[in-house]
Amino acid sequence: MTKSHTLMVSPDAPPVQRNWWAYVIILIICVFNFLPYLYVVMTGFMDATTSNRPEPQWFFTPTLEAFRFLLFDKNLMHNFRNSLVVSLSATFLSVTLGMFCAYAIARFDFGGRDDVSFWVLTNRMMPPVAVLIPIFVTFQTLRLLDTLTGLIILYTAMQLPFVVWMLTGYFRDIPRRYEESAMVDGDTWFQAFRKVTLPLMMPSITATAIFVMILSWNEYVFALFLTSTGARTMPPAIVAYSIGANISWNVLGAAVVLITAPLILFVLIVQRQLISGLSQGTLRK
Amino acid sequence: MRPDLPARPDALAETSYENERMTDTKLIEGERLAPVGPIAGGPRRRLLARLGPSNPAAFPWVLMAPTLIVLFAFGVYPFLNALYIASQNIILSRPNSPRFFVGLYQYQTVIQDPEFWHALRITIWFTVQAVFIQFWLGLGLALLFRRIVLGASILRIFILIPMILPPLVAALIWRYMFYPGGGLVTYYAGGITRALGLGEIPFLSDPSIAFHTLVFVDVWEWTPFMFLMMTAGLASIPRQPYEAAEIDGASSWRVFWTITLPLLKPAILIAVIIRTMDAFRTYELIVVMTRGGPGNATTTLNVYLTKTGLEFFDASKAAAISLIMMMIIIVMSLIFIRAMRMRSQSAA
Repeated sequence: MTKSHTLMVSPDAPPVQRNWWAYVIILIICVFNFLPYLYVVMTGFMDATTSNRPEPQWFFTPTLEAFRFLLFDKNLMHNFRNSLVVSLSATFLSVTLGMFCAYAIARFDFGGRDDVSFWVLTNRMMPPVAVLIPIFVTFQTLRLLDTLTGLIILYTAMQLPFVVWMLTGYFRDIPRRYEESAMVDGDTWFQAFRKVTLPLMMPSITATAIFVMILSWNEYVFALFLTSTGARTMPPAIVAYSIGANISWNVLGAAVVLITAPLILFVLIVQRQLISGLSQGTLRK
Repeated sequence: MRPDLPARPDALAETSYENERMTDTKLIEGERLAPVGPIAGGPRRRLLARLGPSNPAAFPWVLMAPTLIVLFAFGVYPFLNALYIASQNIILSRPNSPRFFVGLYQYQTVIQDPEFWHALRITIWFTVQAVFIQFWLGLGLALLFRRIVLGASILRIFILIPMILPPLVAALIWRYMFYPGGGLVTYYAGGITRALGLGEIPFLSDPSIAFHTLVFVDVWEWTPFMFLMMTAGLASIPRQPYEAAEIDGASSWRVFWTITLPLLKPAILIAVIIRTMDAFRTYELIVVMTRGGPGNATTTLNVYLTKTGLEFFDASKAAAISLIMMMIIIVMSLIFIRAMRMRSQSAA
């Protein structure tokens, strides 16, 4: 019976610190989740001979050899800049467009509403590889192959269903009467939206934007087939330098550091907003 | 941003103008327009009045238009195009060969291709195994996290790392870990197997082991996602049922099966559907780690599709495969929703 008592602790109950074994299990999982990444990052700072030894090297003199190779010999900064431009623009566009769509679905009771929201979601069900060939042909005719514009439009379209789907739920949680009272006070619809609804939605919008940003930063399949050199983003560029014959592990490690460092930094900075945004709906109830 | 104060002087002017306009329209049209807001009926504003916020039938469509147009261009159009391509005999590497309408021939070739059924089996088996393991591990981890307070937010970051990493990077990392002669896992696992008198484990080069290696990596990568979804779900469960169960002296096992799990159902439904759809189309992981091999041991539908379309350049057959795949995904999600709905009804 005492044992069952501890399991029934609800989230706001006082801390039960007798659960040392929970800490042990969680710590083991943390190590398990973190260690592979850590080791690859370490490999990035090894020199070529150290990293290619058959036995794992835990202690070594760090060097920037692999980074120098990627950044100066292979000009990876170019790909880095492309990735940044594409993911920032796609995030801005998809969140801005999707926000209004989500608002309409959440607020208005129009004929075909459920059909529209289901249809928007089905767009996400499509495997990206499945639409690759038609999109490739379309890009070819519109001369969008290997352009940043093409990738930005495509990523915007890819992320829109997700944005609409996330934000619809959050918009529903905001009582309509806030806007209505603003409009009674003399605001137009847009003013009420901008001054009342939008500030209330900011945490959720930020959280959604963070997700979209990460997803666009990570996208590989389309970037691989739709770009060659000019608009090539980080993921395909990195694969080119870390898989194949005669590639040493320290280059793979450095490539992994270069693509993930901005991501990890970004998530650490916005962690608070992410969690407050995701729990927005639950908290307001 | 303070919602009650206009940020710029011109915004202030705008507001006062709107106020003025309001006062003379309010008396005349106020009641009729009550739910969505007033619009002046001047000739310049006629279009706005017809499509603006005062028209609840048209206005949502105006708001949705940009999204729907973009989705149409990149969702519906490629789909229709795929339908067209699948009805032809287009070979990308032979752009000058004559094209003609072949009806359902491409679908027929796909269905008669044993490779397709093999890929389907591999995909389903991979998805089921990965999602099942991820779900239970993620739920267990979320329950475990309710028992700790000190340092929970820092530990959570470490738990989430595999999910934050790009799928591509996760695949690269594990390709390295499992690499024969030099990988971390191969080295240490090899130390054990050598002590037992066996050779190094062929994690990626043995057809029957490679599949399980991929499931393992997918579980490593996406259990944090399940953990996150289950944590959110658990946070929204009210306290009262637990208190009632405590008073009744229910065992923790029973509390879990009769309270936690049923109340988590909405969160579980969403998490499992998202994960299933994503696992079904896993691409980077497989392409980077095994390229569908050895042989075709890890050739999922996605890999089969890209091989057909972009290695053999059989665009029409690839389009047919992608349409069949999409149908499978839609049917799957419909079954999920139906099943969950039925169960929650019978429970109530």
